[in-house]
Order: sequence, then C-alpha cells, then structure tokens
Amino acid sequence: MSDLASGQAAQTAFRVLVVDDDPDMAGFLARLLVQQGLQADTAADGPAALARIAVLQPDLVLMDVQMPGPSGFDICRRLKSQEATALLPVVLVTALEDHESRVRGIEAGADDFLSKPVRREELIARVKTLRRLHEIRKELEGRRLAAEVQRKDEIRKAFARYISPRLAERVLRESRGSEEVFRNLSNRAAVVALFADLRGFTRLSETVPVSSIVPMLNEYFTELTSAAHDNEGTVFSMAGDSMLVGFNVPVPQADATGRAVATARAMIQRFAPVAARWRAEHGLATGIGVGIEAGEVVVGNVGAPSFMSYTIIGDPVNVAARLMQRAEPNEIVIGPGAERLDLHDRLRALPGHGRGNGRARRNGGTAAGRWHAEGAAGDSRERVTLERPGIGAGAFSCRADNGATAQHAGTVAGDR
Amino acid sequence: MSDQPIPVTVAKDLEDLIPTFMKNRHKELETLRAALAAGDMEQLRQLGHRMKGVGNSYGFELVSVLGKKVEDGAKATDRAALEAGIAEYTDYLARVKIVYE
Repeated sequence: MSDLASGQAAQTAFRVLVVDDDPDMAGFLARLLVQQGLQADTAADGPAALARIAVLQPDLVLMDVQMPGPSGFDICRRLKSQEATALLPVVLVTALEDHESRVRGIEAGADDFLSKPVRREELIARVKTLRRLHEIRKELEGRRLAAEVQRKDEIRKAFARYISPRLAERVLRESRGSEEVFRNLSNRAAVVALFADLRGFTRLSETVPVSSIVPMLNEYFTELTSAAHDNEGTVFSMAGDSMLVGFNVPVPQADATGRAVATARAMIQRFAPVAARWRAEHGLATGIGVGIEAGEVVVGNVGAPSFMSYTIIGDPVNVAARLMQRAEPNEIVIGPGAERLDLHDRLRALPGHGRGNGRARRNGGTAAGRWHAEGAAGDSRERVTLERPGIGAGAFSCRADNGATAQHAGTVAGDR
Repeated sequence: MSDQPIPVTVAKDLEDLIPTFMKNRHKELETLRAALAAGDMEQLRQLGHRMKGVGNSYGFELVSVLGKKVEDGAKATDRAALEAGIAEYTDYLARVKIVYE
C-alpha cells in the first residue's frame, strides 16, 4: 500500500479532482494519485470543475492555471468565496518560474502550488500535507459543530422553563449568535408584563383535601403556561397562584401588546372549563384576574450563586401586579403604558365587538375614564378594562348590546 | 540531422498512457504547423506552454525544452525560431525511442 493510503483503508478514500484542459496532464496526475490509493476524477475546464465539485464533493482540487474560459485563478476565487467550498483545499499547478502566477494564486486564495513539469515526489508530498491539514480541519469543524449543538442544547434546556419550545427553536435557528440572546442576561428592555392570579382559590383550598391542592394548582398553571407559550410569552415566575409572563423579551416582538392581550384571553378561556368542573365538584366559583402593563424594565438573572432566576424588575411589573389585584374574576385590566400601543386593534379583537353579543360602556363616578368591553366566548365571560388617565383622540369604538357603536374620539379624564 | 534513436526513459507504471500521449504529440505537431502557417502566435504560445508542462512530467525532457522555445518564439513573433523549433520537434518525434523502467 502507498504512503498516502496506509492506515486509511477503513476510511472513505480521499477524493481529488484534477482540472486540466490537457488530457495527458490530467491523466498523468490522476494516475499518480490513484497509485497512492486516492480517488481521482478529472475535469477539462472551469465550468466542468464547478459542476463536478458540486456533485462529487472532493477533498482536494488540483487545478491548472491556464485553461480555456475561466482561468484557474477565477475558479479558485469562486470556490473560496462560497461557504460550501471555502475550506476545500485548492492546489494550483503552475510553471516553477512563473512567480506572477503564484502571487495571483495566493490572492485568489490558493492553498498551495505544484510546479510544472510535475515531479512525482513533489506531488505526493504536497497532497500528503494537504490531506493531513484537511483532515485536521474537518475534525476541528466536526468538533466545533458538536460543541455548538451541545451549547444550543444546554441553552434550550436552561430556558425551557421560561419560554416556549417553539420560541426557543426559532431563536436558536434564526438568530446569529443566538446564545448571546440568553447569555446577555442583564440589560434594560421595553417589555409588556402580564400578571395573572387565581380568584377564589383561597376559599376553595379550605374546602378541598390537602392532597388535591397541588394537582389543582398544577392543572391551573398548565393551562396558563400553555396560553403563554402559544403566544410566545416568557414565563418569569410562578408564586402561590400568580404567574408573571413577559413579552418582547428575550427577543423583540413587534406585536408584544397584542400577544399579551391574546395570552390573557386565552388564559381565561382555557381555564373556564376547569373552573366549571371545580365549581361542579366543590361548589365554589373561581376565575382569573389579569393585569397588563408595558414599559422599561431591567432583565437579568437575579439571585444567589446557588439559586438564580431569570426575571424582569421595574415599575411596569409592579403596575401589572397592582392592576391584577384590582381586576375582577375574568377581567383583564390594561395599564396606561400598554394602552398607548395599538389600542384600537385590541378593542376590535374583543369577543363582543362586531358580533352583537358584547357591550361597551363608560363608567361614571370614580371609574370615569375606564372603559369596559365585555364579551362571551364559550363558557367564559371576559371583560377588558382600559385604564388610563387620558385615552387621547381617535382612539376606538365598541359595539354595544343593541348593535349601536360606542365611539370615543376625545380625551377621557382619568380616575388615577 | 542524425537518424540515431533518441532514448527516453519512462516510468513503467505510465506505460499504458504512452500510446495516447505519443498520438497527442503527433497531433500537436500538425497543429503547430497549421498555426505557424496561419501566423496564429497566440495559439502557438498556448501549445508551447502546454508542451512545456506535460513533456517532462512524463519524462520527455526535450518536449518541455522545445515547448519553451515555441512559447518564447511566439511571444517574440520570431518565425525563424518557431520554424526551427517545429523542425526539431518533427525530428525528435521521428527518432524518439521509449524505454520503460
């Protein structure tokens, strides 16, 4: 067995494409390579070489410089500029005294040169060296890819508790340097915060067996988490019976407010059958209160070295919590920060609007400036309250029970 | 010119390639003559360059030497040098005797 083939028998043969318009030279080089236990193919010009490279995926290209049509320099440059072939070693075959060609070859990205007339020993030595380098490069590339897969897998696992698998996959797939999205865990960001909690559960928990409480809470959180993940929200915390979900974090979401409202509605709707069953079984009513607010927060990994939690901190989170506390069962209270965004669209999305079974009203007295829109969806009734000192001009319209449309086009005095 | 054979030693493992190689050299000679008759210096230069590269690779040193003469003659548009080189090539191909080792 030859020098080059020894010890490689178990591996796939190293494949070399010889590109030369002189069939005698191409045949000569191919013969020497085959004698060394390598696999050799030939191409008579540049275009043929590119076609064969795409199909054969050789490990090395030996190419004449002067050919009809595109020169060896042109083909080399093209190979080096394309991602799929950038690492494919190219040896240009040039006359020994042709220094100009060598300089042009280097500029074109050639990995090495072989002198014409070709000496057998030189060819073998060059190919041997390049084969070793190519194999090391391939091994390193393999390790790099394996490390990247492992790193992404770790990120996916680490964040699976916060974000939906679908969002994690999208971030990992689409974001260049996606790990930075997760690793840069201390930054300021504009987010939409959603707080939700379970109304009536405290009383319910006093009447059901202790062994049932945790499964019931798990059932409740399962529905809420699914609603959050369906809308690509990030679940930041669950404490007691409340849950904090963020949008526009860790990756930007142009429709973050819409996602938050959709999530809140989905939470109410998904929980409705569970609440109906609990009511039938235990005789007590439960519901979900939701508060939504938008604004700038600090996003970070907070905690002790032994226990850290990815979370959002800031006034919008506190406001969302307070709005949640003010919400009645199955009411979504939207704060002034979130209201600034696409108010009309959110109102239009309410279940009652446009279907004649909802109603919109403007509260008087201390609730002046709060607009409610109520609607029915399946077994659930939900109400959305837009809470804002001044709603502003040209804001929204809602259809009332009798089919009349309630228009608002002025500034509403706030109740805060 | 002498009638003595010009011995050329070629590696045994290239023996099966040599008949085609020699056939191509004779074709090349015809093409060189036609190009010279047409005054096509660019074609002569290319042919000379190719001879220079392939000749010695197979062990035919004089093919490379004559290739360089043709290439240089074409670059300089030196008809006399080209005619001499082609004549020498004609004589060489007539007398070359290949020995395989």
